[in-house]
Amino acid sequence: MTEAELIPIWISLKTAGTATLITFILGIAAARWMAYGDFKGKNLLDGLFILPLVLPPTVLGFGLLLIFGKNGPLGQLLLYFDKTVIFSWSATVIASTVVAFPLMYQATRAAFEQIQPNLEDAARTLGAKEWTVFWKISMPLAWPGIAAGTILAFARSLGEFGATLMLAGNIPGRTQTAPLAIYFAVEAGRSDQALKWVLAILLISFASIIALNYWKSRQYSSWRNGQPVVKEVVIDAGYRN
Amino acid sequence: MLDIEIKKSLPGFKLEVSFAVEREILAILGPSGCGKTMTLKCIAGLIQADEGRIALDDRLLFDSGSGVNIKSRERNMGFVFQNYALFPHMDVFNNIAFGIRQLPVEDIKEKVRLWLQKMRLSGLEKRFPGQLSAGQQQRVALARALVSEPEVLLLDEPFSALDSIVKERLEEELLEIHEFFPGHILFVTHNLAEAYKLSSKIAVYEAGRLLQFGEKEKVVNRPSNRVAARLTGVKNFLPAVVQEVESSSLNLELSGLGTRLKAGKVPGEKWESGQVVNLGIRPEYIRINDNGENLIAVLVEEVIEEISSYIIRCSLAGSGGEKILEARIPRTEAVNLSQGDSCQFCLPADKIFIMLE
Repeated sequence: MTEAELIPIWISLKTAGTATLITFILGIAAARWMAYGDFKGKNLLDGLFILPLVLPPTVLGFGLLLIFGKNGPLGQLLLYFDKTVIFSWSATVIASTVVAFPLMYQATRAAFEQIQPNLEDAARTLGAKEWTVFWKISMPLAWPGIAAGTILAFARSLGEFGATLMLAGNIPGRTQTAPLAIYFAVEAGRSDQALKWVLAILLISFASIIALNYWKSRQYSSWRNGQPVVKEVVIDAGYRN
Repeated sequence: MLDIEIKKSLPGFKLEVSFAVEREILAILGPSGCGKTMTLKCIAGLIQADEGRIALDDRLLFDSGSGVNIKSRERNMGFVFQNYALFPHMDVFNNIAFGIRQLPVEDIKEKVRLWLQKMRLSGLEKRFPGQLSAGQQQRVALARALVSEPEVLLLDEPFSALDSIVKERLEEELLEIHEFFPGHILFVTHNLAEAYKLSSKIAVYEAGRLLQFGEKEKVVNRPSNRVAARLTGVKNFLPAVVQEVESSSLNLELSGLGTRLKAGKVPGEKWESGQVVNLGIRPEYIRINDNGENLIAVLVEEVIEEISSYIIRCSLAGSGGEKILEARIPRTEAVNLSQGDSCQFCLPADKIFIMLE
């Protein structure tokens, strides 16, 4: 693969990496807020968070164009600071983040909700501040779900096509991610070229899933798979003397 | 002294209780869903009561009037949950050390070691909760709650998940803990035998209300009303009319039967002749074919054999099978009765208690 051929792969990795990082933080924050909070309009907000998952990417891309375009609310705000995001690398990140967010949010929220409330309460009676409860109890216990959400979010960002094309366009060297490059190579009849990128994406996706799976299972296998190894002895030595 | 007065609306009923306990063991006894656990959670600050006041000695923990509500983490109360709520991702050492994380490492090690020893858990510090038996899990939960030296220990049905052998041992352990734990112990149970064995005071709950509260002997032997009596294992109730009031006893006549009985009377209690009352007696106090006073002729309806006693269910002669008395006779007494036999029940006057109803 020549250096020029590597560029779309590099853009894809950069985009997916950045989008996953943003989704990771926003997804956990939103999930934590929705799993523990109780307020009016919670279901409505939940629907809004999940929406990008069920919308066609082109609809999403069009919506994002309306929001970030010259006349859109965020577009206007950015113009005020003399910036535009349409057809820039940032646009690929925005599109990927929006489509990946629901996957991260859903997996993480489910993971928080299946934690026994007694565990968090126990930590509170033992003097833990809410922040400590979150970091020492909720996060580690929700970890398998969070890791699964992260894998899915990364994979989804890496494969993002429709919304990216609409919001960021297909500018080689700037916004042309691997999925876009593959599409336009096939369209131009350069199938051998497309195959190289297909193999590269296949490799990255598969490797990242294997790596994250390994990382996830390593950390907590000791307690997750823990079986009672000893039965209680009826009378311990030294008891009742 | 732990002083509690709470009101809290819950789905289905309203919790409204108030009581005060010294540094002793209190058992909160009642059926499931009567607000027992909710009371503990309000005391621990995990749930906020709608109204009321909770004070520990001079320290106000909660007061709806002045808006005081100390956070759970600052109340310094040990809480042992029904399923123990051990942190599954931490080993035994880290579970116990959780409440004293802020101490220097050497102190943490020393204290945890001490509690591992006290709770006979030495050697298990590297195990995860999933690798422990139920009894070991409970001991870890107790160690975790006690290591930060709380002033109050709250136990939510601590023995309900255990088989009887482990349970008996842990009950003894709780009594031992009380010897070196100088604080208040409140534990929730629906088992009267457990409550009586372990506590010095009993609070009887029903549907969010405190039916009776006091020394365990009084709660068990002198229930103040029929529901409280039933919850503490009294099976026998008979309506009667007061005939004569004497200084230390009452003469009663069983309604509809004319049988005369004598019942003990607590000095100070006020009764009048002609009053309609309910008398109650625990099955284990009824004796059979005795030569004492208060004899009632009965007809055996059913004999149930238990490990250490017979349960003899009889109808009162002349009641047409309507009025039933249940006696629990130890198997050491030779009882040779079967259905249809007639015999005499003796109801000791000092064991009969009277309720106005």
